[in-house]
Amino acid sequence: MEMNVRRFVGLGLMLAPLACVTLASPAGGDSAPVVVTTDTPEYCHKLMDRVTQALRAAAMPPPVEVAALSNEGEHMCNDGLTRGGILRLRRALLLLEQIPPSP
Amino acid sequence: MVYAVLLAISAAALAVYLWWATAGLLDRQTEAAIRADVQGLSERWDEGGLPALVLTIRERLEQNVDDDAIYLLADQTMRPLAGNLRGWPEPVTRADVLYELAVSRAGQPALAQVQRYDLPGGFHLLIGRDVQARAKLRTLLTDALLWGLIVVAFMALGGAFIVRSLFRRTLANVSATAAAISAGDFSRRVRVSGRGDEFDQLAETINDMLDRIGRLMEGVREVSNAIAHDLRTPITRARARLEDAALHAETQGELHAAIERATGDLDGIVAVFQALLRISEIEAGSRRSAFCEINLATILADVNGLRLLLDTPDSVPVWGDPEMLRQAVGNLTDNAVKFSPPGGEVRLSALASPAGVEVTVADQGPGIPVEDRSRAVERFFRGEAARSTPGSGLGLALVQAVAHLHGGTLHLADAAPGLRATLSLPAQRVPSQQVPSHQVTELSS
Repeated sequence: MEMNVRRFVGLGLMLAPLACVTLASPAGGDSAPVVVTTDTPEYCHKLMDRVTQALRAAAMPPPVEVAALSNEGEHMCNDGLTRGGILRLRRALLLLEQIPPSP
Repeated sequence: MVYAVLLAISAAALAVYLWWATAGLLDRQTEAAIRADVQGLSERWDEGGLPALVLTIRERLEQNVDDDAIYLLADQTMRPLAGNLRGWPEPVTRADVLYELAVSRAGQPALAQVQRYDLPGGFHLLIGRDVQARAKLRTLLTDALLWGLIVVAFMALGGAFIVRSLFRRTLANVSATAAAISAGDFSRRVRVSGRGDEFDQLAETINDMLDRIGRLMEGVREVSNAIAHDLRTPITRARARLEDAALHAETQGELHAAIERATGDLDGIVAVFQALLRISEIEAGSRRSAFCEINLATILADVNGLRLLLDTPDSVPVWGDPEMLRQAVGNLTDNAVKFSPPGGEVRLSALASPAGVEVTVADQGPGIPVEDRSRAVERFFRGEAARSTPGSGLGLALVQAVAHLHGGTLHLADAAPGLRATLSLPAQRVPSQQVPSHQVTELSS
């Protein structure tokens, strides 16, 4: 009996530090999840409009990747792969941001 | 059990460190990214107020290629003004506290870490990061470490059990042997497994100790038997002489003579007891405290007053007890002179070599027959040729005891004619640098 008690105490001592670390997390609450609005088809179209505006405003021809990314992004958004499409449109926008606007 | 607990604690400490170094690092990176965002947005607020902040949040969301940024700018009534959350999350009530928030991304549940900042004018800003992937990684890591700890715990217990069994087996072996010896079976020895490990070394050491104890007990038994058999005769003789004198002595002179003869017999018995005690003392090894570096040549040259031929180097260094070695050489020389015929020669020689020293005493007497040589060093043994000469039969036994105490040997051989007794001693502890020259000297009494 004493041997079993010792074994369980030993196991408990071993697991206690890990349990403490695991349980220590930022405060939170139980509520309905909040919807992120930048994962929707509407936001996807918004980004496509931004890309178009940025292309028109660019002073020089954009890199080749911009066209590929924006086309890919548009198709993915139209096919329902919203987050993937948004990602490509964001990358296209980032590349376009590096081109100075036309005077 | 101690081994198992120590191993488990070590493994737990390592697991906690690994967890802190990896999962903890991810959490710290998230906090650092949020703090950096706060810094940038507060500068924009300071520069351009609300319109600048709204524009910056929009731009940051458009350029968020990591797809993990969470922003929400709300007015005094918590109505969203900018950002990518549909509404202000109810649980987030306090500023400067990191919250874990459940969010929905494209219809899928996810996890975000957010922090609230209250701006001047009653506006509220929420900044955060999507930590779903990091949370999954943290869960995977935690599960792996916990399972690893459980495996280590079982292995620690198994290892402890195996080590304990090994110790128990060895201790049981030693205990059983000790119990058997306590019960009287002195022939029992600890079993040696043949693995050559520390347990076998312990067993061999214990067996060597038991062998030595057995030899000592055998020696005590021999002495007791010898005393019983060989000292009874002179005691009986002394008693008989005194009894005869008491019954038949007619004059004072006869009575005195009988008493003197009995006194002589008793003195002989006392000398025998003293020699026995000396041999026991030497065999018990209790006289090594008097060991020192000595020149055996001076001891050999000191055996004077006898007719002998001395053939020794100038220096014969040994490590030993000078008094004991003097007595041993004296006993050998005494025997040689005692058994030498008139006009005979006794040669006393010493040979020093890197291996050790050999002292040889050779006579031209009757010698010891081959069949008696092994028994000649036993206490009280007297061969046929010695029956008519005085002695107690302890001389060679003492020489052998001195030889063993010094780590050497006594060897008896046929000198054709006579006996050659060789006392071999190991080399001294510090090698000598001397090159001895030989000296042949004839001494006569």
